[in-house]
Amino acid sequence: MSWLTFLIALTPENLLLAGIIVLIGVEVFARRAQGALAISLCAVAAAAAAAALLGSGGLTATPFPGHFSVDPSWSLAKALVLALALPVLLLSHDDFAEDGQFHILVLSSLYGFCLLLSADSFLTLFLGLEIMALPVYVLVLLAFKRPESPEAALKYLVLGGTATAMFLMGVSLLYGGSGTLAISVFAAGLRSADTMAVAGVTLILLAFFLKAAIVPFHAWAPDAYEGASIPVTAYMATIIKAGVLLAALRLFGTEVVSRPTDDLLAFLPLVSIVWGNLAAMRQKSFRRMIAYSSIAHAGYLFYAFLGDGPGRFQAVLFYLLAYGLMNLLAFASLPRGDDDATRDRLENMKGMFQRNPYGALMIGMAMLSLAGIPPFPGFVAKFLIFRNVMTAGYTAYAVLGLVGSYLGIYFYLRVIQFMFMTAPTPATSPQTSRGLALGASLICMVTALLVAIFPGWVIGLF
Amino acid sequence: MADATLLNVVLFLPVAGIVLLLLVPARSEGAIRWVTFWVMVVQFVATALLYVHYDPAVAGLQFETRLPWIPAWGVYYQIGLDGYNILLVLLTAFLGPLVVAGAFTAITKDVKLFYAMVFLIQFAMLGTFVAQDLFVFYLFWETMLIPMFLIIGIWGGERRIYATIKFFLYTAFGSILMLAAVIYLVYSLQATTGVTSFAFADLQHAQLPLPVQLVLLSAFGLSFAIKVPIVPLHTWLPDAHVEAPTAGSVILAGVLLKMGTYGFMKLGFPLFPDATRYLSPLIMTLAVVSIIYGACLALVQNDIKKIIAYSSISHLGYVMLGLISLDLIGIQGAIIQMVSHGLTAAGLFLMVGMIYERCHTRELSAYGGLARILPVYSVFFMILTLASIGLPTTSGFTGEFLVLLGAFKASWPLHLDGDTYPLVLSASAVLGVVLGALYMLRFAQSFLFGAAKVPHDPVADLDVREKLILAAIVAAVFALGLYPAEPLRKTELAAKEFQQRVSASPLPGSTR
Repeated sequence: MSWLTFLIALTPENLLLAGIIVLIGVEVFARRAQGALAISLCAVAAAAAAAALLGSGGLTATPFPGHFSVDPSWSLAKALVLALALPVLLLSHDDFAEDGQFHILVLSSLYGFCLLLSADSFLTLFLGLEIMALPVYVLVLLAFKRPESPEAALKYLVLGGTATAMFLMGVSLLYGGSGTLAISVFAAGLRSADTMAVAGVTLILLAFFLKAAIVPFHAWAPDAYEGASIPVTAYMATIIKAGVLLAALRLFGTEVVSRPTDDLLAFLPLVSIVWGNLAAMRQKSFRRMIAYSSIAHAGYLFYAFLGDGPGRFQAVLFYLLAYGLMNLLAFASLPRGDDDATRDRLENMKGMFQRNPYGALMIGMAMLSLAGIPPFPGFVAKFLIFRNVMTAGYTAYAVLGLVGSYLGIYFYLRVIQFMFMTAPTPATSPQTSRGLALGASLICMVTALLVAIFPGWVIGLF
Repeated sequence: MADATLLNVVLFLPVAGIVLLLLVPARSEGAIRWVTFWVMVVQFVATALLYVHYDPAVAGLQFETRLPWIPAWGVYYQIGLDGYNILLVLLTAFLGPLVVAGAFTAITKDVKLFYAMVFLIQFAMLGTFVAQDLFVFYLFWETMLIPMFLIIGIWGGERRIYATIKFFLYTAFGSILMLAAVIYLVYSLQATTGVTSFAFADLQHAQLPLPVQLVLLSAFGLSFAIKVPIVPLHTWLPDAHVEAPTAGSVILAGVLLKMGTYGFMKLGFPLFPDATRYLSPLIMTLAVVSIIYGACLALVQNDIKKIIAYSSISHLGYVMLGLISLDLIGIQGAIIQMVSHGLTAAGLFLMVGMIYERCHTRELSAYGGLARILPVYSVFFMILTLASIGLPTTSGFTGEFLVLLGAFKASWPLHLDGDTYPLVLSASAVLGVVLGALYMLRFAQSFLFGAAKVPHDPVADLDVREKLILAAIVAAVFALGLYPAEPLRKTELAAKEFQQRVSASPLPGSTR
């Protein structure tokens, strides 16, 4: 391994690191906060481009043998999620303006994410997970405008810590049984009948369920989503979720799940789908509703693990793309106002089409896509997952999951009903999304339309 | 240039229309209306051209386009015209400009969004008809829900939100089960033949045992039956019709309901022939129940929109009866009946809309003796009423007569073999014709004749725009009634194929 390859293989991570260092420098030496947004945008865009180049160039390298490796498809996944972070940064402008802290924390979290996607050992995986998650605990608290925020952050921290503990316990069981920290032990554990291995696998899986907010480990999500500010919620709902799912995907590899893990892997996500969709119906806050919706979506995503090996990567990645784009589109198009608590209320969206037709149409599109209604990309994503589940022979679970997804249609429609069919409440002031948030929503919309029109091409990439 | 390109142009004209509308400022409502109208007219002319050039002597697809879309799954963008869809495509394109013109004065709120939604639903409906790939079909099928949801929900009556959510949730439930069935069907095709394809033509080769066919037909059938609607899955329809704006009702009754019967004809029955034959007594019973139950409910309504809504249930029951008779005459009658109902129901809903715009009530008891106050209106109304009843020389006669003929022809030999049930059902269906005359004449009698009364005095008779719209519909009604030979010839090969496919399954592995 030459030094050059070593450097090249680590370009995305190094670019992010450079971004963080420059941001810290600016924060320390400049009198006024300036250019933080531009710096972080550049760093993330460059990292995404580098990852995309690594992916399309087909570079396979192991800079740290046994701990950290790079291969084309995972580089592509890196590029994809890093690119999804760009709209998050853009739409953060309304809340964080040029706040250097915010950008440093986001970049650190993204650094952890990149580490995850290259992890070959539980050590790197653990580091990645923690580096990704720790800044988010602070982000939830950052710029808090409402009394719930500290409580939300604390809940998130405590439950995240629990997940970490479960993960480490599982890892130590697997390590005890095999004497190695390589993540392939996990896949071997899926096959094994050894009690210690099964216990280790189960604990790790439950830790991931907790991080991805699968019922019954979901209780932290609505509070955290509601308590955080819009960009942070968007970040948690898309990037963090993607990170957790892709980390799980890396552990599972192409290993076909068998009994008894498959029951666990099918049942809890199914409950998540049903419960998330049911609970979302009664929410009054937009972000809480999205939190429950994301609980249901985590269910669909874990469903994909039932499918056979090679299709699994494709399904999860395409779903994350469609789901992430749509969530970001909705968050970027949300009405803006000075009071964070009021602008979050669903009631506040009444008659939005009259005040802000573009925003209403965009949120409407996002809602329909999240509900899985064609012709939007959410449909193809859902189709891909359920096709894999059914092909793997889990017909009953597939049908139940589809019926569960039907339950979700109502609350997405309710948002559209509020925006288009209800007269505006007199108290609401005219608000439109503008500036960078508008740019973020345009980027998401155009990308989503392209994905909807050429799904074959996008799937061909993975 | 009557080739495949023209069909693509017809299909994508509404999308071009939406783009055009984006360029027009929301305030110039007049421009928006006329742009929409003329795009629709162009679409109709192009479709008429396709119809003229459609060769009745060629079986299978004409004007076909087939491009890879998601190659990894064997999904192709495949569209084409055949005997199944040619008349329905023509009907959809014919009603397009009429719907737009009919809404000129009725829709004054969010005009731009409204016409964009009309374009979108036109696109989705045409796409559903011409799609020859199950994935593409499903995409269009589901897309139809969105514009209809908005049309009822934004421009509808007082209980519009209840009605539109009911409509959406009802139809989406069917679609979800259909999606599961689609995935399973494609998967079993792959498992049995090794071919990964969504093409209708390939899917017919999936060798499915009877129990699987029954489950899949139930899933597809539920989705289609909700759309038709077949009793007892019809309860969304009266609400949707009553609350929808006129344009919404016209689209709903004119084209959208045919999606269900078209689905049965193109997909449900031919894909699962063994299950269809196995379930045919049940399907036939439900069809006859729909005919009679819909007619009985229409008889007792006081809301004029509800009368036509329930009459739709009854009329579409005939379509189902014709299809399940598996007799060539019955099948062709069913196709004609679909078009005929599309024309008469659309016309009647337009007329109800016209009187509602003037008087703002749909109570039947509020009206009387319109023949004296609104002579032109009454003439058109009477013609459409008689067409709906099925008077000879109108399209309604051609459709219902052929369906009943087919039903009797199919059930008579069974009766001789000792199975009298189908004959009893066919005979009961005739009762529907009597009931149909009863409720429509009751409607016309208290509406047009008797002591003159209107809730809103004075009432102006039809203006030129309205006369032209209705004249177009009436002309089509007579054309189909007096000269059904041409449309029958264009659909004959498809009807034969359908009959052969469903009544004699070529599958080696199938039972019964």
